[in-house]
Amino acid sequence: MAAPFITLTIGLPWLGALAVWIAGDQHPKAQHALAVLFAVAGGLSGLALLTTTGAEVAIRLPVGGAFGDFTFVADGLGVFLAVIATVIGSLAVIFSVEYMKGEAQLGRYYAFVLLFIGAMAGLALTGSLLLLFFFWEVTALTSYALISFHNDDPKAVAGGIKALLMTQLGGVGLLAGALLIYAHLGSYDISAFLAGADALPPDLRALIAFGFLAAAAAKSAQAPFHTWLPDAMEAPTPVSALIHAATMVNAGVYLLARFFPAFESVPGWSTAVVIIGMVTALLAAVMALVADDLKRVLAYSTVSQLGYMVFAIGCGSVLAGQFHLFSHAVFKALLFLGAGAVIHAIGTRDMHQMGGLGKHMPLVRGVFVIGAGALAGIPILNGFWSKELILETGLAHGPLWGYIGMLIGAGLTALYTARMVWLVFYGEPRSHHHAHDARPAMAIPLVLLAVGTLTTWLLFGPFGALLAEAVPGLHEESTLDFVTKVVSDPATLLALGVVAIGLLAWQQRSRLSPIAAGLRALEQAAKQGFGFEAINRFVARMTRSAATVLQRTQTGELNWNAAGIAGALLIVLIILAGGGTR
Amino acid sequence: MSLSPLAIVLLAVTLLLGVGFYGLLVARNLIKLIVVLQILAKAAMLAFVAAGYGQEHMGLAQSMVAMVIVADTVVAVIALALAVQVRRHYGTLDVRKLTTLRG
Repeated sequence: MAAPFITLTIGLPWLGALAVWIAGDQHPKAQHALAVLFAVAGGLSGLALLTTTGAEVAIRLPVGGAFGDFTFVADGLGVFLAVIATVIGSLAVIFSVEYMKGEAQLGRYYAFVLLFIGAMAGLALTGSLLLLFFFWEVTALTSYALISFHNDDPKAVAGGIKALLMTQLGGVGLLAGALLIYAHLGSYDISAFLAGADALPPDLRALIAFGFLAAAAAKSAQAPFHTWLPDAMEAPTPVSALIHAATMVNAGVYLLARFFPAFESVPGWSTAVVIIGMVTALLAAVMALVADDLKRVLAYSTVSQLGYMVFAIGCGSVLAGQFHLFSHAVFKALLFLGAGAVIHAIGTRDMHQMGGLGKHMPLVRGVFVIGAGALAGIPILNGFWSKELILETGLAHGPLWGYIGMLIGAGLTALYTARMVWLVFYGEPRSHHHAHDARPAMAIPLVLLAVGTLTTWLLFGPFGALLAEAVPGLHEESTLDFVTKVVSDPATLLALGVVAIGLLAWQQRSRLSPIAAGLRALEQAAKQGFGFEAINRFVARMTRSAATVLQRTQTGELNWNAAGIAGALLIVLIILAGGGTR
Repeated sequence: MSLSPLAIVLLAVTLLLGVGFYGLLVARNLIKLIVVLQILAKAAMLAFVAAGYGQEHMGLAQSMVAMVIVADTVVAVIALALAVQVRRHYGTLDVRKLTTLRG
């Protein structure tokens, strides 16, 4: 029976949010303890859910009327994401004990983090489109609140609002899709939609499919909506690790994976997904190469890796996309928390002021290098296996240009990863810092995640079996078969060669500097965000000037307002008198 | 031509609505506006009763209207109290001179 565990997985973090808030900011020790207690309990109940997966409805709350039934389903796809959210969530909370020590308003911080964890679990476990949208919006709201946590910093406030606006913009697509589904099927039930999707009129299905794609692209920071994620790095680092690397940004990929069977046959949809994934992966990799802020490099690399997952789903392999999501959640949480330890120790995010930190922080360097290796796709780390799986899927089922694009992306990933690790931990120190190594509250999550990075690929077999019950037509195989297949595939050698070229390019950077000089224009374009930032600024400016113009209609005089009401009523009456369209 | 009772009541509703809207458009005195709003609310109540009569749900209509009367009275009382304060504070009841809330 999954019902009690579903309730606990969503309910415990939410209860914890309440408890931390009630404990009050005068008792920071109690707040730390309560947050860790409830987050870890939520993580454990999430893990317990793994034993009770099944495609049937576990909880059904009849709400009645247009709301339908609020259902929760503990199937493999959902449980997997819920486990990621709660387990990595609890590690991020443990890390916060050290990272956020001495901060004011801890109650607000922990309450929103725990609220987020619960909402993310709910998003993954619900079987109702309406609830899905509700949880989707709660995650966006908590993400906004946490990015703007330091609300006396204008950059943090601006970043939060940007993230909120852009994800809401996509959220409209999700809401519109959900309402269209309700209008035609009379139910918000996800499984009913998946079963009945083929019966819908084709253009309606296309509308829903592209609406969901817009929602997913905005949430998962895919081009052209990717600009919010780097600005979201103003958030405290454990929040970046949890929300903007391991969980919330995966909600978009989850949405695509969940509804892939229904949209697969929509003409042009798969190609659009492949293009979005590839363009995002490449653009973000180039931008990661020129960024100077450690967290922004990681943010761009997150965008880029999410592009890989989206690409995999576009090529028709939900398994490859979700497996990379799994690996990425682990190693990127590790990288972010490692970066958090560095930032906490020296107080800056600028990589040009780092350098040579490895001597002072051997533990952090060790785990960071493991995470970076996984990001770059170096063998036996989990990122290697999942990236190989995506590349092979791309070669077998995707267009050739897509495969080549992703291969170039893999090389760029290796290059920017090497640059990042070198600038932070190696070379000569470029400024004087009294760096200290991670203390226990930071070290525990780091070591656990590093162990995960080394080992989670061994779970490939069980992972495939878990997903197979939720995704129809998923081709599962044992870990051994998978490993043999990857090792014996010549494409693996090709991919490894590209990664090696990327690493070598960094090592030989002084010899390659003439080439780099030739690419100065590209570098400048990348630093400007390839014009996407300009589009954002343009839209913001247009909105502001439109508001100035429209302000004149707000006379503040009651008589005019009454006239407006009467006029609108008249228009409605005319429309009604003109006859309904039915 | 003889009108049905329902039609007569609805005619009265329309008349009240017309008076109310006209008042909203031209009234400049805050007290007059409150009176006009009351007339509009009365039109709505009358429409409720007429609808209840037409649908033969008189009990429902009456209970609704009883509720609206209570709410409406509260609105009137608070609005008048505000009007008194506005007069004391700004020395005028002309709404066109009270546009300091203008954005």
